[in-house]
Amino acid sequence: MVDVIVLIKQMPDLEQVKIDSNTREPMIKNVPKTVEILSEHAVEEAVRLKEKYKGKVTAILLGNEQSSAIMKKAFAIGADEGIIIDGYEENNPANTARVLATKIKEIKHDLVILGNQSADSITGLIPGMLSALLNEPLLGNAGKIEVTGTTVKVTRILEEDNIEIESPMPSIVSISQEINEPRLPPVMQIMAAGRKPIKTEKIAPVISKAVTLVSNRAPRSERKKLVFEDMDKGIPEVVKVLKEGMK
Amino acid sequence: MNLVSVLVLAGILIAVFAFFYKLYEILWDAIKIPLKKPRMKLDLGRRIYILIRNVFLQGKLFKDPFAGIMHALMFWGFIVFGAYSIDFFYVTIFAHQLFSPGILSDIIFFTVNIFAGIVIADVIYAAVRRWGLKIKRYQGFNGFEAAFILVLIGLLMLTYFVMSVLDMQGLLAGYTFVVRSGAPHYLEPISYALASIIPKAPSSYVYYIFWSAFWIHALDFMVFLIYIPRSKHLHLFAAPFNVLFSTGTQARPLPIDFEKETRFGATDIRDFTWKDYFDFYSCTECGRCTDNCPANMTGKTLSPRDIIWDIRETVMAQGKEYRKNRDNPDEVFKTVIGDPILEKDLWSCTTCMACVEQCPVMIDHVPKIIDMRRSLVLNQGKAPKESLDLFRNIESYASPYAIDPSTRGDWAENLDVVNLSKNPDANYDVLYWVGCVASYDRRNQDIAKSVTKILKKAGVNFAILGSMEKCTGDPARRTGNEYLADMMIKQNVETFKEKKIHKVITACPHCFNSLKNEYKEYGVELEVYHHSEYINRLISDKKISVKALTSDSSEKYTYHDSCYLGRYNKIYDAPREIIGSFTENFEEMEKNKSKALCCGAGGGRLWMQETEGTMVSHKRIEMADKINASTVVTACPYCMTMLDDARKTTNREDKMNIQDLSEVIAKRLE
Ligand code: SF4
Ligand code: SF4
Repeated sequence: MVDVIVLIKQMPDLEQVKIDSNTREPMIKNVPKTVEILSEHAVEEAVRLKEKYKGKVTAILLGNEQSSAIMKKAFAIGADEGIIIDGYEENNPANTARVLATKIKEIKHDLVILGNQSADSITGLIPGMLSALLNEPLLGNAGKIEVTGTTVKVTRILEEDNIEIESPMPSIVSISQEINEPRLPPVMQIMAAGRKPIKTEKIAPVISKAVTLVSNRAPRSERKKLVFEDMDKGIPEVVKVLKEGMK
Repeated sequence: MNLVSVLVLAGILIAVFAFFYKLYEILWDAIKIPLKKPRMKLDLGRRIYILIRNVFLQGKLFKDPFAGIMHALMFWGFIVFGAYSIDFFYVTIFAHQLFSPGILSDIIFFTVNIFAGIVIADVIYAAVRRWGLKIKRYQGFNGFEAAFILVLIGLLMLTYFVMSVLDMQGLLAGYTFVVRSGAPHYLEPISYALASIIPKAPSSYVYYIFWSAFWIHALDFMVFLIYIPRSKHLHLFAAPFNVLFSTGTQARPLPIDFEKETRFGATDIRDFTWKDYFDFYSCTECGRCTDNCPANMTGKTLSPRDIIWDIRETVMAQGKEYRKNRDNPDEVFKTVIGDPILEKDLWSCTTCMACVEQCPVMIDHVPKIIDMRRSLVLNQGKAPKESLDLFRNIESYASPYAIDPSTRGDWAENLDVVNLSKNPDANYDVLYWVGCVASYDRRNQDIAKSVTKILKKAGVNFAILGSMEKCTGDPARRTGNEYLADMMIKQNVETFKEKKIHKVITACPHCFNSLKNEYKEYGVELEVYHHSEYINRLISDKKISVKALTSDSSEKYTYHDSCYLGRYNKIYDAPREIIGSFTENFEEMEKNKSKALCCGAGGGRLWMQETEGTMVSHKRIEMADKINASTVVTACPYCMTMLDDARKTTNREDKMNIQDLSEVIAKRLE
């Protein structure tokens, strides 16, 4: 039996984020939220562990009422319980880790699984911070997870060789994308997921201002939008433009 | 009654019983096992028409002319021989003729005599085709069955001639208690001719010759009757009904009601309809389907014949078991996917409909293949990896591409096109449905731009939906993800209703087929035109005029039929007429119109890797090259993508161009 808590991050759909041409800041206000890519792999892995060793999968997501679609996806893949923590919308790793750790402490678990870094902010800080706050060992960048008794063994797949590490549970495992291919859930499960209740818990966290966001801007780039329709004439023209650009 | 009549009567009763008992069994299976209902409408006119065309006139068989003529003669021969046989056994049993002498009996006996000769020639020709010429589609299966049937038919005809020649020679007078005799010479001309060549047998031999012929003839007939429903010759009985029951919606999968249904797609033999069972029973193993299958032709193991035949064998075996063990259906009915039908074969299908088009007995392979894909996708979440990405994209971005949907109408920027998502209250007469590929794919955007140019030139007041347009659901549907397709269809239907859209033009045959034929089932009636029809009309109505190609031009055009335009919607002429409007430098490729070779992209295959065998698109490009075409005209963004790619990867860039119909016209507008 392995009880797993899996952490899901929601993020703005990066394909749909545009850059404001004046301020050069990303315009994320009305961009639809989607499940962060690695989080989906994390849910998949948690469910695979459940299928292999039995146990329960609890998914935790920082979000709000609109996040239920993302939680339903986790249910469809096979998560047993889902908790949406509503009331924290910042994107500051130290605070995020604190909010998560508070919740995780309340739930009995053997493993906490999460992505090693998120696809939008790419800080990679959360796993380490959680490890410190929860006082549980961190096995990072897992490409494979195995459990024997009360021990978890993780394989990190590197270019040249594989590294295996293990630790007693409970522990935290951050995963890399190669670990699995998220499944397409069967329709019956998708429909059942739609009917499953989601717990939403309101919180009002104490926010530390130790680190603050100074600016988030895209580098300035200018597109000339030149189109060369004619293949034969186009190539010399492109070469000319490139040469000029290099000067 | 004499001993002979009693024996023959007993034999016939046994054979007839065995025949009907088997029919009873297979009908029982077809009624009791399937859980799904076919789409059935009365449609009497169409049914009578296809019955006459495809059964009595053997219409679909002539797609393969030699085999077609052979089979048609065999078929007509059978009908008259059937009538003759009823009379034959009637005479044996009751000692007088059923058809008393007169016009009817004259016609029967005359035609039988002619056809018996033809059928013998046919049997020889069939044997030569199968074992002499070794025609590909007959190879590799059930040779014994084919040989056995040919021997039965051959012997039946030979023994008929033996008796009939004896009669012509006046030697049957002593046997009138079992056979008809004294037929006039003009009624049996072949026998009469033979009788005058073959010397009369000494009377002591006549006894042996006659009785051997008689008994071989009678027993042969009985064996045949018993054997028919237990072999591929079941089609003699099943095929006419299969044609009569055809749904008129061939190659179109049934929608799924996700609120009510619980079994999705086809996993085991319960997941078909009784009409599908008639499909299975009707298959003659002729191999025309597989012979024309683009996947099979390019070295993939997919064979539509084997799919049908494998399920048929499963129905026969599991049906038998179920008749014995009715309490545990879940034990009896095991999945057909994996064994005997390979998953990879299901994914190889391009849903091109060539198999359906060719099948002489109107078997509908495509929905069965899609239903088995549905079983994999909807029940087990199994699909090729690229298809999973396809599903994810359609779900998140309403198109097969991971591109921000708000940019869907961007291709039309600066072209002064009414975009309903930006200008919702604009007036327009027709909606131009662009489709995903022409909206996002760089090469295919040129199609959208050309269509725009033509419509503008003709003064058509049209609009596009811009970011309100979403994938029609076709790629998801054909890949088996009906859940996603259903979602997309419903969203689009909502838009059509809200915007009160009725008249639609599209340059994509896949969108065209969905909107025109499949959206009806979701509650919108649309008047949909493919751009080939529309542009052709603009030309013939003189709304646009097209510059003719100069007579000294060395350009040579050919046209590649899109499956979803051609076979699915029977639009073959409009595209050719459009090309004809500006040039006569046109030549057909091998395999055109209803026999056209697919480009390899349908059925969601545009978004899958083609790793088994060779590429379908390469085969098509080779056909275009064979006639030295300099421009291959297409009418579908999928075909454009595949053929343009094939042209490049096979190093034909310098000598060949792929152009959409809209592009060739837009360039020549005057
Ligand atoms: S639809 Fe086309 S690809 Fe599919 S089995 Fe039939 S012939 Fe082959
Ligand atoms: S499915 Fe049709 S075309 Fe194919 S083998 Fe059977 S009868 Fe022939």
